[in-house]
Amino acid sequence: MERLITYERQLGRFNPLRRVVTFDDFDQGFNGWMDLTPNFVYDNYESFDSAVDLTSWAPSMLSSASMRFAASHGSMEGTYSLKLTTAPVAAPHTEPPADGSMGVVLKRLSRFGDPNKIQIEAWYAYTPEQDRVGHGEEDIRAFGFYFDIQDSEYRYMPGVRYVNSLGGQLVKRWQYWKVGEDVTPEQWSFGVENAWCQPGIDNLWYGRRYEDGSTDGYQWVPGGEQDLLYNESPDKLNWLYFRLTVDVARREYIELQSMDRVFNLRGIQPTLAAKYRAIDNLINPIFYVETDTNRSVHFYLDSIVYSTE
Amino acid sequence: MTVPHRKRWNVQTTYTAVLARRVRISGDFSTLPYEAGWAKEAVFFTQVEGEHPELSISTEISPDGINWLRRGQVEKLGESEHIAANALTVFGNWMRLVITGATPDHTARVLVHVSLKG
Repeated sequence: MERLITYERQLGRFNPLRRVVTFDDFDQGFNGWMDLTPNFVYDNYESFDSAVDLTSWAPSMLSSASMRFAASHGSMEGTYSLKLTTAPVAAPHTEPPADGSMGVVLKRLSRFGDPNKIQIEAWYAYTPEQDRVGHGEEDIRAFGFYFDIQDSEYRYMPGVRYVNSLGGQLVKRWQYWKVGEDVTPEQWSFGVENAWCQPGIDNLWYGRRYEDGSTDGYQWVPGGEQDLLYNESPDKLNWLYFRLTVDVARREYIELQSMDRVFNLRGIQPTLAAKYRAIDNLINPIFYVETDTNRSVHFYLDSIVYSTE
Repeated sequence: MTVPHRKRWNVQTTYTAVLARRVRISGDFSTLPYEAGWAKEAVFFTQVEGEHPELSISTEISPDGINWLRRGQVEKLGESEHIAANALTVFGNWMRLVITGATPDHTARVLVHVSLKG
């Protein structure tokens, strides 16, 4: 049998690794991307003890990006994107995230094909709700992406976060996920004893936060300043390219690409935590968005490709 | 040579979103603005855990997710009841659910789903 391989024209805006595992175009539905929730496995279906309410994140939706004065924006190609949003509430950036101040979506996958490298690519846009006068860019605190991975020895979470604004001041710098030295589990979980999350797990809300925007779980990408295209009004979206490539054989970062900028992350290792029960070979890609003030902000995903090699 | 398109199933899409997850309310409450322009019908389910006052549950629609007006039937959920449904068919793109009746002295813990199809 001769095998003929063709690929969809829409993959032309991606640079996938050898095997495309999933290509998710949100004109075709949610494609298995869903809101992140904790484990409702204790008495009365409650979750584990946490200083951050992990049940509170805002629901994602298929969006045509309709605006207050502009017409529907549609997506990069088609009508619908997957929209993450937040409630109109935020804690100061030096404190744990407030209930509802984030939106988090993930897809639950597993290791296949014994890859050495895994990669996520996405076309996305971001904007605040146009519920008040002004430019609005300074009200979007951050957005990010990470993989939740467990292999035969460790659980670890390689990821990146674009810090857009802190306390209303634009920052526009990339961070990567790695825990600083000498962070105890109690410090990581904001004082909860025997917490479910160990240092290096769920950096997006655990780990102490500092005035300059660094945290126990985020380090600044060297030369990571980037003035991302926001446009000039909350009702105007421009679609941007994102890629993160990870070496799962060596358990280290390879590259972050944002638009046409490539940040070399070779040699940097995310924090390796002890294995958790029953999740060997888990690989979950996860996106999130954070608001900086009492205003909902939105993060639109036109399409996502997960590939391996 | 023609390049085949991705197979498009001739079935409807359905999706159930959780708009409020076991939230303790102590006053008038509305879910966050939700876009569902792809769907043709929506059914909101409101469940309450534990004791609660009588609640009044209504649906609202919006041109932009910012300005709202009521649309559809108003449902009552009595103190002895634990689940209610509100249905919407002609709603445009934006929708939300509004729950009134809770007070600081008589709160309610609510779980709101919306089941969409289209």
